[in-house]
Amino acid sequence: MADFWMQSGWLIPAYGLVGAIATLPWSLGLVRRTGQRPAAYLNLVMTLLAFVHGVGAFRRVREYGSQELNWDWFQITDLTLHVSFELSRLSLGIVLLITGLSFLAQFFALGYLEKDWALGRFFGLMGFFEAAMSGVILSSSLFLSYSLLEMLTLSTYLLVGFWYAQPLVVTAARDAFLTKRIGDVLLLMGMIALSAFAGSLRFNDLYEWVKVADLAPLVATLLGVALIAGPTGKCAQFPLHLWLDEAMEGPNPASILRNSVVVTCGAYVLIRLQPIVVLSPIALDVLIGIGTITALGASLVALAQVDIKRTFSYSTSAYLGLVFIAVGTEWPGVALTILLTHAIAKALLFMSVGAIILTTNCQDLTELGGLSRKMPATTVAYITAGLGMVGIFPLGCFWGYTLGIDFFWQSQPALVAVFLLVNLLTALNLTRVFRLVFLGAAQPKSRRAPEVAWPMAVPMVTLVGVTLLVPLGMHQMDLLPPWRYINVTAFVLLIASGVAGVAIGAAMPLSQALARSTQKPLRILQDLLAYDFYTEKLYRLTVVGLVERLSLASSWFDRYIVDGVVNSIGLASLMGGESLKYSVSGRSQGYILTIVVGVGLLVLLTTWRMW
Amino acid sequence: MMLSALILIPLVGTVIVSLWPHHRPAKEVGQVALLVQVLSLVGAIVVATRFDIQQPDLQFVESLPWIDALGLTYQLGVDGLSMPLLVINSLLGAIAVYASAATIQRPRLYFSLMLLINMAVAGAFLAQNLILFFIFYELELIPLYLLIAIWGGARRGYAATKFLIYTATSGILILGGFLGFVWLGGTGSFNYDATLAQSMTLWQQGTILIAILIGFGIKIPLFPFHTWLPDAHVEASTPVSVLLAGVLLKLGTYGIVRFGLQMLPDAWAFFAPWLAVWAVVSVLYGSLAAIAQTDMKKMVAYSSIGHMGYILLAAAAATPLAILGTVLQMVSHGLISGLLFLLVGIVYKTTGTRDLTVLRGLLNPERGLPLVGSLMILGVMASAGIPGMVGFISEFIVFRGSFLTFPVPTLLCMVGAGLTAVYFLLLVNRVFFGRLAIALPSDKVEPDVMLPPVAWRDRLPAIALALLIVVLGLQPHWLSRWSEVTTLAWRSPSVAIAQPPSTTPPSMAGFAPLPFTPDVTDD
Repeated sequence: MADFWMQSGWLIPAYGLVGAIATLPWSLGLVRRTGQRPAAYLNLVMTLLAFVHGVGAFRRVREYGSQELNWDWFQITDLTLHVSFELSRLSLGIVLLITGLSFLAQFFALGYLEKDWALGRFFGLMGFFEAAMSGVILSSSLFLSYSLLEMLTLSTYLLVGFWYAQPLVVTAARDAFLTKRIGDVLLLMGMIALSAFAGSLRFNDLYEWVKVADLAPLVATLLGVALIAGPTGKCAQFPLHLWLDEAMEGPNPASILRNSVVVTCGAYVLIRLQPIVVLSPIALDVLIGIGTITALGASLVALAQVDIKRTFSYSTSAYLGLVFIAVGTEWPGVALTILLTHAIAKALLFMSVGAIILTTNCQDLTELGGLSRKMPATTVAYITAGLGMVGIFPLGCFWGYTLGIDFFWQSQPALVAVFLLVNLLTALNLTRVFRLVFLGAAQPKSRRAPEVAWPMAVPMVTLVGVTLLVPLGMHQMDLLPPWRYINVTAFVLLIASGVAGVAIGAAMPLSQALARSTQKPLRILQDLLAYDFYTEKLYRLTVVGLVERLSLASSWFDRYIVDGVVNSIGLASLMGGESLKYSVSGRSQGYILTIVVGVGLLVLLTTWRMW
Repeated sequence: MMLSALILIPLVGTVIVSLWPHHRPAKEVGQVALLVQVLSLVGAIVVATRFDIQQPDLQFVESLPWIDALGLTYQLGVDGLSMPLLVINSLLGAIAVYASAATIQRPRLYFSLMLLINMAVAGAFLAQNLILFFIFYELELIPLYLLIAIWGGARRGYAATKFLIYTATSGILILGGFLGFVWLGGTGSFNYDATLAQSMTLWQQGTILIAILIGFGIKIPLFPFHTWLPDAHVEASTPVSVLLAGVLLKLGTYGIVRFGLQMLPDAWAFFAPWLAVWAVVSVLYGSLAAIAQTDMKKMVAYSSIGHMGYILLAAAAATPLAILGTVLQMVSHGLISGLLFLLVGIVYKTTGTRDLTVLRGLLNPERGLPLVGSLMILGVMASAGIPGMVGFISEFIVFRGSFLTFPVPTLLCMVGAGLTAVYFLLLVNRVFFGRLAIALPSDKVEPDVMLPPVAWRDRLPAIALALLIVVLGLQPHWLSRWSEVTTLAWRSPSVAIAQPPSTTPPSMAGFAPLPFTPDVTDD
């Protein structure tokens, strides 16, 4: 019995999948009598089962150590593809986080999507989503991880496109799929190459292979960059970051997961791949570069957003940028700490945002205000999440920041500056949004704003408790650094940067009526940030434009050149036949003449030698 | 006699269907044809169950002398290459007959032609004699020409004639190649023999190979011999498109693998790098052209051109894994394109158009086609190579098998896999997402479209194919086991010389000394 929890660890992702399949009768409209609710309850139960199973396995792992489950899924000649799961403290811990947050988000969705006619479909997709996520975390084979990342891409596409009748949703879903797909195809290239070089795709075999691998520098670099590309797309990092902010058109409960644990999955795969990426120092530098650009760029862009969901989605990109930096500098511990603490705080932040959106039917910051008196629970949630996000001792993200700054203190002071700056800008942005939404005078849309109903309030308040308890939990699991290692200067700087951010945010002039500044230089800067450095336009002009031109060119070539040649050959033979027709005169003299001349020539030809 | 039965069942069916009494209701003709197709499917499955997967050679060989003077023997056999294709042929044949409208005009002729195609294709896959193959290859052409020319769309005359001329040219080239085999090989018999070309010089082999490549390249089709395909698909009715994409194109790839790769190994190895380049051009060209299409059927047709390019790439690489990949990709493309054409057919039937610029929001739950839309998303994702479906694993094996031999062409082909996602996403986004509307060309948007519900009868074949795609995607071993031993036994003899500097960048030289690298060059 002791082993039951472990041996059946593969069930943890399966629960979500079963839940997803079980909703089919409702989402297909085969069952109408009961309404859509039973599908939702089914999925909640399944998620709870996955969570309980995770807890059971987690306890066993603490006792007996980690375990690997392995199946040869496909074996042919020299190629074996494994489906293998690794149940370790780390992976099960993250799975608990995922299933726990997924449960809360689905609970939240009961309230948020109460009036939606397609509740069954939504919960089916959520179950699928959750299954793919926990699978990615448990997987210990790159092949399986890749497959499940693609499942995540697919379910993101379907979840973002949930309200597919809206035009913005349609483009958002498309962009989400295509940008992630670019990363995935590059990752697939890397995976094919790895499989060909190393033989096996299990992470442990790959790590062994790396020790003896002897690749030319160029190949190693290309391989490293290809492997990075997949997580870059998943974690919404520059240059594949566009989709996350557009994806905010989707239903909020999915956004809760997307901004917290989905990006975590991408980053987790990156952490698993890091020992292979190490083969190329350039790839590691690329990783740091991507992380730095995204962390700073996205933090700045977040400041200029007027959409409450989009501004925080950019902050997700920024935090994942910090994770990329940590992985690139080979500090996976820092990366994981940031990931886990950020996930909880961000999930809470998105819950409070969801509450605001549902109550006011508005997500435009300039049209909100004065909500703090009307929605106390939401306000508390927002404040707690904000504190959890920035480096405030002793809440969650503080520890990630401290660890990172500590490690970079000696070797890479520039990265310390990046961390501090991101902290400052995040604090600034959170304060700015807080002032716009919760303080000030109530506006028409926020005038009559009751607190949300219990299905949304309960998960929100629960998560407030969890966020506050994160440091305690980390202490329990010995994840906190000992006191004597804390760098006092760094500690002070970190707190100071947070306070400075809050102070600037509190002091800066905010006008709700005028979202754009009247001063020209400021307005140009504001526009630059608001439109994400015009990245979308840039893409439209370059990549999208190129593909479009090429496709039009090849279609034109096809119609007029290839088919044109074919048709002209046809035409020529028809014309030839038509014109030959006129040689048929019907007069026997003509025929005889032709025959005589023809036969004469033939005779001449055959007897040429005799002459 | 087992294999002959696979040819005889549809042949007898053709006779019965065409002679079905006129006073009986017309509906029965289709039912009889379906029965015949199901019988031949059962026959194919029986052959498959008796098939010994451990045996790399031909099985169930039947041989009857026919015209000795010509070297023509009625010789049949089946191996791991043809076994899966045989089953797919019967399966898609049954689906095509089932999906044909019950109210079709001149049902006797229509269904007997359908059965005739089934019989000819089965014969071509089974034939073990060059002339016999050629007879079946040409035989399939006539019914398909008639099916397009009689039951086709507005420009059916043009499309059917184009198809006929192209395929006839292909036939001439193939016949020339086959004659070359025997004359240059110095035997009097046209029976398949892998050692036939051994006595030929590289020049002789190369000449034959070029004829065969162009001949089958038209059928597959590969750039620049492809323009008949989009026209034929657009004009053909849905069941004919299913057959055309799912089964008939496979004759071309089968021919390339069987007669090029297997029977002309030296010339094949010599040409392999160029074939890989050709594959890349075909893949990228087909995918790019598909993006610009506005007709759903044309888009799927161009995607076929792209996806068949992968098979050429894998055949060029000719590692055991890649050869297996060709078989998997043939089957998976047959299933996926069959599904896509069925769904496009349903859309066309209910809305009256296939134009991407006209259709909007068909996923609408009450007034649209939600189930068809969902299946379409599934089919599109399968075609784009999303894991969990059969398209992914076959593409993975093709790429994995070809990578070490042709790294750069393989990577470029994978770009094509990325482009597949682009055009099919455009299709789904435009046609199925958004607000339900049918925007007519005259800028007049029909406001409250109410599409008629789709009968379960029409949905059923699509659902069956979708299930098959998912099941084989989750359990690819059920598919690969038939071909594994055969393709392993082939062991292309001379891949080692097939590595020209032009397609292999210098940096790739570092691959060879890797201890873990599965060494293809030593095979």
